[in-house]
Amino acid sequence: MFLIEHHGKELLASHGVPVPAGVFVPTGGDVHACTPPDGLVMVKAQVATGGRGKAAAIQAAASHHEAVRIIAALDGRSLNGKTIHGFRIEQRIDFVHEAYFSLSVDGESARIRILVSTEGGVDVESYSNTRSALASPDQLGAAAMDLCAALPSPARKALAEAASRLADIFLWHEATLLEINPLFILANGSFVIGDIKLVIDDNAIARQPAIRALLEQHPGIYPESARKLAHGFDYVEVDADGEIGLITTGAGLSMQLIDELKSQGCRPLNFCDIRSGQFRGDPARLIAVMRWIASRPHIKIVLVNIFAGITDLAEFARLLVQAATEVPELRVPIVARLIGRNLDDARQILSASNLAVMLEPDLDRAIALTLAALDCEGASRG
Amino acid sequence: MDNTLFDPTVAVIIQGITGRAGRTHAQLMQRYGTHVVGGVAASATASREPIGGIPVFATCREAIAETGARASLLMVPPLSVLPAIEDALAGGVELLVCVTEGVPVHDALKVVRMVRERGAVLIGPSTPGLAVPGHMKIGFLPDAALAPGPLGVMSKSGTLSYEICYRLVQRGVGQSLWIGSGGDPVKGARFADLVPLFQSHAETEALLVIGEIGGTEEEELATALIRAKFSKPVFALLAGTSAPEGVTMGHAGALIHGTRGTAASKVAALDAAGVRVHATMRNIVEDAARVLAPATA
Repeated sequence: MFLIEHHGKELLASHGVPVPAGVFVPTGGDVHACTPPDGLVMVKAQVATGGRGKAAAIQAAASHHEAVRIIAALDGRSLNGKTIHGFRIEQRIDFVHEAYFSLSVDGESARIRILVSTEGGVDVESYSNTRSALASPDQLGAAAMDLCAALPSPARKALAEAASRLADIFLWHEATLLEINPLFILANGSFVIGDIKLVIDDNAIARQPAIRALLEQHPGIYPESARKLAHGFDYVEVDADGEIGLITTGAGLSMQLIDELKSQGCRPLNFCDIRSGQFRGDPARLIAVMRWIASRPHIKIVLVNIFAGITDLAEFARLLVQAATEVPELRVPIVARLIGRNLDDARQILSASNLAVMLEPDLDRAIALTLAALDCEGASRG
Repeated sequence: MDNTLFDPTVAVIIQGITGRAGRTHAQLMQRYGTHVVGGVAASATASREPIGGIPVFATCREAIAETGARASLLMVPPLSVLPAIEDALAGGVELLVCVTEGVPVHDALKVVRMVRERGAVLIGPSTPGLAVPGHMKIGFLPDAALAPGPLGVMSKSGTLSYEICYRLVQRGVGQSLWIGSGGDPVKGARFADLVPLFQSHAETEALLVIGEIGGTEEEELATALIRAKFSKPVFALLAGTSAPEGVTMGHAGALIHGTRGTAASKVAALDAAGVRVHATMRNIVEDAARVLAPATA
């Protein structure tokens, strides 16, 4: 769960870490209804992606009037394909120096990578005053402070203090990435968080009450994590204008299907790892996915792919028919690639239903059927 | 890594054997030929009645002492993985296979450190398991995709490896040793760790790698192949090459930040190591079948 900057800063503030005073204006919200800080402000589009500065999604404003104008120009836009969820209007900080600090989980060493620099920026790893170390969780705070102690003044003292507090927060909230860039150093030697990227482990959210509350209050900002928490499986919309809805099991195979469909000139709507092995006779997951797919305007076909190692395909077919009757608004044909246990029974169940299903046990042929139905550019190449 | 851990006769216990999945797979594994010698039910209230003739114990220490097992399959809920692995290591388990999905990353950091300190081998979490096809499997790799043959398999993705191996089996190409290493960012054995095993594994004539975007595992693999002067052909497929930055699709490890973890970086590294990298399922199956399929008379 990649927190938008506003939520990241509020979380840090709740732990007593200094952040600029600020308010949040949701997309389409009333800017006049909020009370932004006095004086010079920064208007920052809230979208979970990098490169906001370059894309003019972060701008200074000298007056409330100017802030309103900046928001009006950006409202409803997206950045790197991501929706702008709103704006943070925050106090502009008078700093003497910009530094960098990050913590991230390093898979290779199974430790946490600490990266600090006396300079902020986009290419921190190449700077001369950058230090990096790996630490196990129980030594993270001490290791981060040690690393900062080796840096030159004036950033050293502020960085060491920030490092120790941020390490605690990283561990407490089970983050996988916490990046402060820039970390403002003030004339009096104290620090204020300039910008934050914070990613919380989705698998830990169930035992992270503050994060869980955030997610439940803002399912629209974090749709993937909210869906996963509510339904127990993964569904990610990759193209809101997509034409092919995917009902698939398996993360790797679902990703690969998307890659291959895109390379053939098609527009898949979604990633889906529905985990058919966990249905236990309940069509709820299928109904949920069918509703999400049916809610999209350009959907033309649904491709089902189940490689059943353990799953009984007859039961899957029954649940598919049951789910489809619950979601009558999904009126597109279905290509079902089913292979595994009880395929013949599944075939009978599907053909006895009044569903428009094309059953095909071979995946490449199922893809070809899907393309032919869509008349994609790759269809003739099959 | 001790190759004898992957011997088809290795004795296995199942932690979480009294759960729904544990019961089912204990029987399926036995039927496949796995030497399942015991189970562990850690909960104080769990029944310790034998399951299909398999004795059930309260702790791994007890199970190992009674059965002499070297390997354990963990089929426990995500938040029980950390204590279950502590129990397994205390009992002296040498090979741990953890199929659990959704283990918190900060638990995995502790788990991997403990496993490394003990010198044990952990496969997973979030793996479908491993198999010596035709002889034994630990986990739930589907029988339809398993057949004895010359291909060593290492994969981050269960389903994509099932699909590719199933197609290759249809073409007459089976597997020598199949290890699902799992799609989590923090895990036990990584691709690079498995290189010496497959290098010295006499039955393995070629290697199939199913990778994914995110992390640096494929880049580490490329370095390890070069360092080991790996002499067998390597075929690789990378899933998620069209995924947008910053979006996690199912596997927590499959996440791109900036230029780290991109498909381009992985393809370049693997190319440089002489790996035959493919973009489609059809092409990798064709290529592997061309190299490995028995000549048709």
